[in-house]
Amino acid sequence: MVRYSLLADIDLCIGCYACEVACKQENNIPVGPKWIRVNKVGPKRVGGKLKMYFVPVHCAHCGKPPCIDACPEKAISKRSDGIVLINSELCIGCKKCIEVCPLGAIQFNPEKGVAEKCTLCVHRVTQGLLPSCVKHCPTGALYFGDPNNFTAKIQEKSVRVILESKL
Amino acid sequence: MEKLELEKDVKVVKTICDRCHCACGVLVYVKNGRVIKVEGDPDFPQNEGMMCPKGLAVIQFLYHPDRLKYPMKRVGERGEGKWQRITWDEALNLVASKFKEIMEKYGPEAITWSWGDAAYHCCWVTKQAWLYAMKGITHLHSDAHYCYHPVMVANGVTFGDFVTSEIGPDFENSRCIMLWGANPVMAHPTFARKIMIAKRKGAKLIVVDPRFTEIASKADLYLQIRPGTDAALALGMLNVIIDEGLYDKEFVDKWCIGFDKLKKRVEEYPPKRVSEITWLSEDEIIQAARMWATNRPSTHYTRIGVQMSVNVVQAIRAISIMIAICGNLDIKGGHILSNKPKGFKSLLEIITKELRLPPELEDKRIGAKEFPLMCSSHSLATNLCHPPSVIHAILTGEPYPVKALWALNDILLALEDSEETKKALLSLEFFVGSDFFMTPTLELCDVILPPCSYLERDEVEDLFYLNFVGARQKVIEPMYETRDDRWMDFEIIKRMGLELPTEWKTIEELNDYRVKGMGITFEELKKKRYVMEPIRYKKYEETGFNTPSGKVELYSSILEKFGYDPLPSYTENPETPVSAPELAKEYPLILITGHRHIAYFHSANRQIPWLRELCPYPYLEIHPETAEKLGIKDGDWVWIETPRSKDKRVKQVAKLTEAVHPRVVAAPSHWWYPERKEPDHGCWESNINVVTSNDPPYDPISGSTPLRCGLCKVYKVEE
Repeated sequence: MVRYSLLADIDLCIGCYACEVACKQENNIPVGPKWIRVNKVGPKRVGGKLKMYFVPVHCAHCGKPPCIDACPEKAISKRSDGIVLINSELCIGCKKCIEVCPLGAIQFNPEKGVAEKCTLCVHRVTQGLLPSCVKHCPTGALYFGDPNNFTAKIQEKSVRVILESKL
Repeated sequence: MEKLELEKDVKVVKTICDRCHCACGVLVYVKNGRVIKVEGDPDFPQNEGMMCPKGLAVIQFLYHPDRLKYPMKRVGERGEGKWQRITWDEALNLVASKFKEIMEKYGPEAITWSWGDAAYHCCWVTKQAWLYAMKGITHLHSDAHYCYHPVMVANGVTFGDFVTSEIGPDFENSRCIMLWGANPVMAHPTFARKIMIAKRKGAKLIVVDPRFTEIASKADLYLQIRPGTDAALALGMLNVIIDEGLYDKEFVDKWCIGFDKLKKRVEEYPPKRVSEITWLSEDEIIQAARMWATNRPSTHYTRIGVQMSVNVVQAIRAISIMIAICGNLDIKGGHILSNKPKGFKSLLEIITKELRLPPELEDKRIGAKEFPLMCSSHSLATNLCHPPSVIHAILTGEPYPVKALWALNDILLALEDSEETKKALLSLEFFVGSDFFMTPTLELCDVILPPCSYLERDEVEDLFYLNFVGARQKVIEPMYETRDDRWMDFEIIKRMGLELPTEWKTIEELNDYRVKGMGITFEELKKKRYVMEPIRYKKYEETGFNTPSGKVELYSSILEKFGYDPLPSYTENPETPVSAPELAKEYPLILITGHRHIAYFHSANRQIPWLRELCPYPYLEIHPETAEKLGIKDGDWVWIETPRSKDKRVKQVAKLTEAVHPRVVAAPSHWWYPERKEPDHGCWESNINVVTSNDPPYDPISGSTPLRCGLCKVYKVEE
């Protein structure tokens, strides 16, 4: 079984927000909720030099997602390919999943009154297409595929940035 | 190649985005005549699949409820906001008869048009043809003096081609890229992509910018220069490069003239002196020079941050010279000279060569006397006027009366000194506007002619492509009663009784005319999508350089002939802590105006929900230490006042950031609030041009205004 994951290389992210708007268009998301958000870290002077990073954050499709246990309606499930989905027909908008998500990745859609989040563009990837954010990223900063292929590299970079920024 | 399994009734049309200058290839998904999605086209050379927020949000633009839908005429006073729907026939007859009346009364030079994003480059040719047909010489290209055109002049006098701005730098193959006053992440994302590709291949990146920008965060060397002193840095780098012998001696001997004079000149700019001028350390200057000159091939990219100063042409001259003497001209990874497909009629060729009036007419143009290399028959730029002087001409009738204007942009926001611009616009006898939405400028018009968008028209695109030409093709029929800008031009020409002395007289004929020399029709170009010419290097070996001597002119014979300094030099801007120390006591901060956000293209997009969400307010960047001294907290509204404000001030939201030097603040430009329904749409509240000036001193060669290095004071808005 193919396992899917999405990870960002913060050395390549330039903070252009293309992923945010690509996601909005693909998934028709109103103003407010963001299934992927580019977070700006800095600028901050570290060792006499200015530093700044852009860190896209989205649902990590966790191994053991806390949101699944938190949902009283059993609206959240993890597919065998790793994609965690919220069934909006079962969601009652209680926001318990939003409270437990360690990444703040689950968003409340005020128009529909339900919790929503990145689906990894499940409708695209099951057709062999890339998620829209990955497809439109100008620098190839977003990796999509089997997480085993790239986690070590990304973790190494994330840790280095955290250390450098002393955050 | 990925392929979306299409739903029934969905078709995909390949066209070219025009929401900014990048002109990316896009795939447009259409269902039952309605655009449902836009994606980047992986097979288009400009963007290779990427898209930016502006392009991706185009559906919210296309189907925005506030889009202008039909022609209208004013029924109340100008600016009162009272409009009446009229037919196209009535609108076109009204416009044609008023233009004709003014032409007969004051001469064709009393009529002008101003270029903007609403029409992008689509109707530059036809608007120019309309002026040409009536022998009009007044073209108000509102940013001409400080954007793009000064680079054309500086590159032009040096080596006869335009290579350090939108086209020319071969970033992908460059081993060292140096950006001057440019943040392509926000302003030209296809370039940001190419720069990041080069970086992945190991290229060095140097960024010169008073703001620590997105692209600066990726730099190997970031130089936080004092605003307006780029010419000094470039001269200092030349000093190091020549002193240390880091230049290409063979190329200089064979292809350059004036090297000894240049050498003598740059001796006046040792790193120590340049350090004092620029706030950079001597080490930073030396390091930049060595990094750029020794990691060849290398490129420079000069953008508007450098260009808004009284020293722009000389700054870019020095940069152009650096390119030449280090042997980076017309080589892979350097700066490629013109390489358009053979037989193709480029936009610039039509504008600058074919649609030219006799010199005695062109030399009467506003600005021709003061800025001949920009505005006269000797222009190395396009056929245009000096914008601030056109505003003065409207108000004073000097050097000749200008009585009618057709605005294709939000000129009220775009030009310096909004109050004076408004006075000028209100004093016109006739004012027509074309734009997608009601804007503060359109509210002052007599007639409004609504254009269709890029998704609703067929045209040839080439302006910012180095070596290819593409077809932008109609995806849906024009919505409501919107029309192609070029159709409007042809109709006005006809209804004014003018004869167009060109072999093309319709949109279809113009499209075919431009590609005919390539042996194809526009329909065939649409099928091919684009036609690419292989890049040829060192073309100058066959033809020489397009300068009077045929060589690279380090010592410029053209500048000498027109009475300018033939060698690059540094001039302090007129309103800085150095040149105006007394003024700086009252106005202690240096104000940069007009840094960009990717959501916006000049004044456009503030009504597009997904884009406004990215940047809801105008954020004034201010250093935390400075803010603390002024009692300003992050998110506070602050007033900005300049010595040129007179009794005016504007407010923006303070953004505390170490991105700027403690003595510098940076204010975005073109701010208005389309959600406010009163006719000025809040354009007096935050638009920084309310507190800028269109008065001299200008750059002596291009007429540029020092919009990024004046003084200001900032204080908290107390409720």
